[in-house]
Amino acid sequence: MTNTPGPDDRPLLSAVDLHKTYGTTSALDGASLHVRAGEIVAVMGSSGSGKSTLLHCMAGIVRADAGQVRYRDRDLTTMSDAERSALRRSDFGFVFQFGQLVPELTCLENVALPLRLGGVRRREAERRAAEWLGRLEVTDVSGQRPGEVSGGQGQRVAVARALVTAPRVVFADEPTGALDSLNGEQVMRLLTEAARHTGAAVVLVTHEARVAAYADREVVVRDGRTRETVLAQR
Amino acid sequence: MSAARRGPGWAADLALGARLVFAGGRNGLLRTLMTAVGVGLGVALLLTSSSISTMLDGRSERTAARDDQFFGGGQPPPGDQTLLVTSADTAYRGIQIRGRLLQPDGTHPPVPPGLTRLPGAGEMVVSPALADLLASPEGTLLRPRLDHPVVGTIADPGLSGPSDYAYYLGTDQLRAGGGTVRIDHFGSESTSEGLDPVLLLLVLIIFVVLLLPIGVFIAAAVRFGGEARDRRLAALRLVGADAVTTRRVAAGEALVGALFGLLAGAVFFLVGRQLVELVTLQGISVFASDVKPSPVLAILIALAVPAVAVAVAQLALRRIVVEPLGVVRRSAARRRRLWWRLVLPVVGALLLAPLLGGIDQTSGAFNQVQVIIGVMLLLIGVAALLPWVVEAVVRRLRGGTVSWQLAIRRLQLDTESSARMVGGVAVAVAGGIALQMLFAGVQHNYVQSTGQDVSRAQAMVLVHDNLAGAALGPLTERFRAVPGVDGVITTLDVSMTAADSKPDEYGERPAVLLRIGDCAALRELATLDRCADGDVFRAVDQDFPDQTTPNLPDPGQRMEVGFRDPATATRWALPTDLPTVPVRDDPGAGRVTGVLATPGAVDLAALRGLDGRVFLTADLTRPDTIELVRNAAAEVTPTAVVQPLRATAEANRFAQIRRGLFIGVVATLLLLGASLLVGILEQLRERRRMLAVLVAFGTRRSTLSWSVLWQTAVPVLLGLVLAIVLGTALGGTLLAMVNEPLRLDWPSIAGMSGLATGVVLLVTAFSLPALWRLLRPSGLRTE
Repeated sequence: MTNTPGPDDRPLLSAVDLHKTYGTTSALDGASLHVRAGEIVAVMGSSGSGKSTLLHCMAGIVRADAGQVRYRDRDLTTMSDAERSALRRSDFGFVFQFGQLVPELTCLENVALPLRLGGVRRREAERRAAEWLGRLEVTDVSGQRPGEVSGGQGQRVAVARALVTAPRVVFADEPTGALDSLNGEQVMRLLTEAARHTGAAVVLVTHEARVAAYADREVVVRDGRTRETVLAQR
Repeated sequence: MSAARRGPGWAADLALGARLVFAGGRNGLLRTLMTAVGVGLGVALLLTSSSISTMLDGRSERTAARDDQFFGGGQPPPGDQTLLVTSADTAYRGIQIRGRLLQPDGTHPPVPPGLTRLPGAGEMVVSPALADLLASPEGTLLRPRLDHPVVGTIADPGLSGPSDYAYYLGTDQLRAGGGTVRIDHFGSESTSEGLDPVLLLLVLIIFVVLLLPIGVFIAAAVRFGGEARDRRLAALRLVGADAVTTRRVAAGEALVGALFGLLAGAVFFLVGRQLVELVTLQGISVFASDVKPSPVLAILIALAVPAVAVAVAQLALRRIVVEPLGVVRRSAARRRRLWWRLVLPVVGALLLAPLLGGIDQTSGAFNQVQVIIGVMLLLIGVAALLPWVVEAVVRRLRGGTVSWQLAIRRLQLDTESSARMVGGVAVAVAGGIALQMLFAGVQHNYVQSTGQDVSRAQAMVLVHDNLAGAALGPLTERFRAVPGVDGVITTLDVSMTAADSKPDEYGERPAVLLRIGDCAALRELATLDRCADGDVFRAVDQDFPDQTTPNLPDPGQRMEVGFRDPATATRWALPTDLPTVPVRDDPGAGRVTGVLATPGAVDLAALRGLDGRVFLTADLTRPDTIELVRNAAAEVTPTAVVQPLRATAEANRFAQIRRGLFIGVVATLLLLGASLLVGILEQLRERRRMLAVLVAFGTRRSTLSWSVLWQTAVPVLLGLVLAIVLGTALGGTLLAMVNEPLRLDWPSIAGMSGLATGVVLLVTAFSLPALWRLLRPSGLRTE
C-alpha cells in the first residue's frame, strides 16, 4: 500500500461510445474514456457539456442509453442495480461538490458510513474513520455535524469518506467547486496524495485548470463527446 | 428598519413574504401546493363538521315530514281524505328497511312526501337504494319478501338520505285497529329529545377530541417546507432585517399558504359534497344538498385558519430571530424548555378539578366552557409536551444499524417537524382513550339487560293479522321448514271477556288474554306440573298475585272469545277443572297473566282475529337463516315482525354517540395519516439530493426504507406513550366528574393505539414508492 503503483497499460475502467439523453437533451453523444489503475484523470468541460453525466455513467450510478462501461473485465451496463450498488460500496469512492455530507450525522459517522454500509461493525468502522480524519487533518471536527464546520473542513471530511473503504477508483465531481483557492488547493493536495498513497485511480470532474493540474491526464468533454487534449507527464 | 417603514412598510413586508412563497421556482410552488393541500384537507373537515347540524336537521325534517305514527289525540273518522296505514318494516342483512302498507278510504287520501300518488293495491313504490338492492344479485333473498310490481320511485323529499331503504305498498286488506292507524295527513313537528348531562358531556368532549387534532394538523400543515422557509428567513435576518420585519415577512408567507389552503379546502369540500351521497356510515347517509356549513362557523373558519397560520409562523421564528446563523448552517437547535409545556396540562387539570364528582347525572347542569377549556388544555398539553419528550428520549439514543442511526440522528437534529407531524395523532389517541374510558365507565347506565333468554330461543316472530285458529299448525310448519330452524314454539293470542261482563265508564268490557298452544309452548309461558292436550290453566304472576288474580275468570265461567269483533266472536265455557299455575317469562321476556289453553280445549276452527307469537330455536350465525325466517314471516303477512333476541340492548342515543365517536376517530386518524404522508413526502423531497448521494455510495433501498419507518415510528411510539398517560389521566378525571370509579379500559387503549399504529404503517407503506422514486441517481444532476 505504501508503494505507489505506476500507470498500467491495461485500463482499469473503460467507457466506450457512451450515449445518454435526458428528455430531449443529449448529455453524452459517443463519449469514451479509459482510466488505468492509480491514474488521475481530469475530465474538463463547460457547464452542461456532459462531464458529470460521464462520471455518473462510469460509476454505475446512471445507466447509459448506449455504449459500454467495463471495470476489471466486468460490464457495468449489463449489471443489475443491486450489483452496481454493491460494486460502488466495495470498489468506488465519491467526492461531490459541497461535500454532500449527511447533515444529521457527525463528521466521524459520515466517514464511517460507507464502511458500515459494507457491513463493517460500528466500532471498527469508526476506528478506521478516525484514522482517515487524522490523515486529512480534521480530527478536531470528528464529533461535529457538517453544519458546524467550515467548507474546507467539510470537503476534507468528504475526501476521507471517499477513501475510507480503500476504493480502486475515486470519482470526484467538482470537489473544490464550493471552496476558495487556498482551501481548494489544500483539498486537492490531500486527495491526490491520499489516492496515490492507496493506489486509487481518480476520475476528477472539474472546469478549473488549476484543479486539473493535479491530474496525470486531461480529457475535455464538449457537446457530449470526449477529446484528449493534453497527455501530461507530471 | 421597521420603524422607518411604518405604515406602507407593513404592506411591503407582507408582500415580500408573499413573494417569497413562490421563490425557488418549482420547489417553492410545490411547497405551497403541499401546504395548500394539507391546510385544505383540514379546512374541508372543519367545513364538514360545521355542516353536521344542517345535515342532521335535513334528515330529521324529512323524517318528520313522512311521519304517520301520531301519539296522543284521536284518529280521524273514515272519509274521502283519510288513509289506513300500517308499518311493515323489515331488515335485510343488517340493512333496516322502512315499509308502509297504505289503503285509502276515499278518493282524496293524503300522499306521503316523495310520491305523486298512492300505489294501487298490490303495487309498490320503492326508494332508489331499495330498487338497486332488489335489482342486484345481493338482493336475491329479499325479492321473494317484496315480490310486488314496482310502479314508481320515492323522490328525495320522502327519504331520510340517499341510501334510505324504504317502500310503500298499496293494499286493500287493512282494518283499523292494532298497529293500523287512520290518518288524514303525513308529517309531524320535528322534535328532538334533549341529552342527559353525561351524554352532553360526551358529545362536547367528542367535538373537542375530534376538532383539536384538526387544529393541530392545520398548524402542522402551514409549516410544511418549514426548514427551507426558516433558512430563507434566517438569511434575510443575516442580511439586516430586524426582528419585526422578519416577523412581518413570515406572516406574509404564512398568510398566503393559509389563503391557498382555504381555497383548496373550499374546493375539497365542494368536491367531497358531491361524493357524500356515495358514502353510508353506520346506516346513515346524507344528500349533498344537506351538507351546508353554518354561515357563522364558516366565517369563523375563514378567519381562524389564517390567524393560526400566522401565530404558528410567529412561534417558529424564535430561533430564527435569536440565532439565524445556526438555522442557515443547520446546526442542532438548543434544548427545549419544559416549564411552559407543563403549564398547559396542569392548568387544564386545575380547571377540571372543581368539577370532580360535581356533575349530577339526573339533573345537574355543569359549566360547559370550563369543561371544554380544561379538556382542550390537557389535550394541547400532549402536542406541546411531545417535542420535549421526543428530544429528551432521542438525545440518549446511540448505536444501532445504519438505518436506525440515520433516523435517530435525523430526529436529534430536528425533533420539531417529526413531533409536529405526530402531535395530531397523539392528541386524537389521548382524546379517544379518555372518551372510551368514559364510555366504558358509564356504559352500565345505558346498556341494559333485555331479560330475553337466548338460551331458550334465538328469534321471535309476531304476527298481528287476524289469524284464524286453524293457522296454528300451518304457522308452526311454515317456520319449521325454514333451513337452519331447529325448533318452533307457536302460540295464538286473543282477548276474551266474561259473557256477562258489563262495559265500564269508558265503554270497555274487562278483557282477559287467552293464549293457545301445545303443552311444549305453554311450558315456555308458565310452570306446569302436568299438561295434556285439552288442559286449560289460569296463569298468575306470583310476584304480584293481588293485582293479577282478581281479573282472572273462574272455573266453569262462560266467556266471549274475540269479543271486540262481534261478527267473529265465539262463546266458550271454561272447564271446571282449572288449575292455577305461576307464569314465567317467555324467551322474549314477556310475562302475561291470563288463561292458557291447549288446542284440544278450544274450538280452534271457529276462532278468528288471533295474533301469533312464534319463538324459534335457530342457528343465527348461519348466513341468511334470519333472512329466510323473515321471508317465511312475510309470506304470512308483510306486517309480521321478526326480532332476533338479544340479552342486552344499548340505549339508542348512547349507541349513536358511540358510533359517531368511532367514525370520527377513524376519520380524524385517516386525515392525520394524510398529513403525516404529506409531511414525510415533503421531508423526502427536501432530502432528495442527500438520498441520491447515499445511493451513489451504494446504500441499499431497504436501509433507507427502514430509516423512514424508524423516523416516523419513534416519535409515534413516544406520542402514543404520552397519549396513553395523559389520555388515561383525562379519562380518570372525566369518570370522577360523573362519579364513576376509575377503571382502565385496556381494550380501548389497545384499540386506539392499534388504530394509530396501523395508520403509521399505512403511511410509511404509501411513502415508500415516493422514496424509491427519489432514490434514482438523477437526483445528483445539477445542470
